[in-house]
Amino acid sequence: MLKRTHRIVVALSLIACARLAPLPANAADSDAINLPPSAQDWQALAKLPDWSGVWTPVISDQVAQEKTNRPPWTPQVAKQIDHMYAEEAAGRPFPIIDHCFPTGMPSWMLITHNAFEILLTPGRVTILGEGDGNRLRRIYTDGRPHPADPDPSFHGHSIGHWEKDTLVVDTVALLPQAYLAVNEAVGVPNNGDMHIIEHLHLGAPDTLLDDLDITSNKLLSKPWHTTRKYYRQRAKKYDIVEGVCTQGSFTDAVDKNGNAIFAPVQFHNGVPVGSDSK
Amino acid sequence: MKLASLKRASMGVVLAAVVGAASPAAAHHSFAMYEPTKTLTFKGTVKSFQWTNPHVILWVLVQPEDGGAPQEWSLETTSPGVLTRNGWTRQSLKAGDRVSVTFSPLRDGSRGGGLNSVTLLDTGQTLIPKFGKEEPGLK
Repeated sequence: MLKRTHRIVVALSLIACARLAPLPANAADSDAINLPPSAQDWQALAKLPDWSGVWTPVISDQVAQEKTNRPPWTPQVAKQIDHMYAEEAAGRPFPIIDHCFPTGMPSWMLITHNAFEILLTPGRVTILGEGDGNRLRRIYTDGRPHPADPDPSFHGHSIGHWEKDTLVVDTVALLPQAYLAVNEAVGVPNNGDMHIIEHLHLGAPDTLLDDLDITSNKLLSKPWHTTRKYYRQRAKKYDIVEGVCTQGSFTDAVDKNGNAIFAPVQFHNGVPVGSDSK
Repeated sequence: MKLASLKRASMGVVLAAVVGAASPAAAHHSFAMYEPTKTLTFKGTVKSFQWTNPHVILWVLVQPEDGGAPQEWSLETTSPGVLTRNGWTRQSLKAGDRVSVTFSPLRDGSRGGGLNSVTLLDTGQTLIPKFGKEEPGLK
């Protein structure tokens, strides 16, 4: 027993010494993926297309496409979808986005009514959305691959590259609960195997197009191709407004000490109602 | 409207809301629960104007025709961002304003609706919540 204990102590000591020893330079570098950009990296941005300004979705086109380009749902999913349409028509919309989680991918690009902006920096494209909480896409364009086992997230893990003036984005690792939605009341969770490829490019000087190719063996009988359109805005009134979804469930109040606080308002069947309502 | 009185007005909503809380909050939703083919018009007084995402809410006190205490109505509309782009501000309406509101009511009879328009009775100004014209805007 004593010998065994001694061996364990020695082993632990060796491990401790190894941790204290400085790492070889190449070992430290192997974990560094967000490297400092060079002057050439910054200069290279000037050659990319101008996607500045604020982009607003063309909602009339969303509605038109919903009617003319239905996803190739599997028969089982199609039954759910048809039921949701019937419920929506009856005034009982399915609560796809009521939870105030991020709308997630691909639904953000498909059904949003809110604006977004796109930031181009070395090795990275960032899309910042208005409305709801945490509408944020990080698209890595520095050549990194997807992680071997990425943590699933609402927006997935996205890597991209430029093909002339088109940004090609590959997205995996979506949370299975993230919806493939066709409007705010009709859609289903991706259930775990969705893969999205996007081609983002200017269709006109101030029109951004997102060509989406969505693969999901659990939802779709074949890959679905669809396009969404966004218009550029530069006026001051289009500046992005902070949007924290859960704030809409609260109203301004003052506590007994005079502090400004949030207090909940009454909801009934998913919508706010008068406080003395049934 | 001074901030203090606005806070007092809001506090009234809070106290009533806490007492009558009926279900979990659900801030972002489709508007399909409002009856689009039905329109109601009421005159009332603004209790508070909740300038929040994802939906702005106009809380209005309406005097019932048959007497009794004023009834509170919640009238929802689109987001601050969308309203700002159509000329609204968080100061467009304030507690105490006398208004005429037109809205599509909830189908279940609860006192809520989707706001179609609001007219300030003292000035005659009408505000209509809507998405702007869909086109690029470069100026």
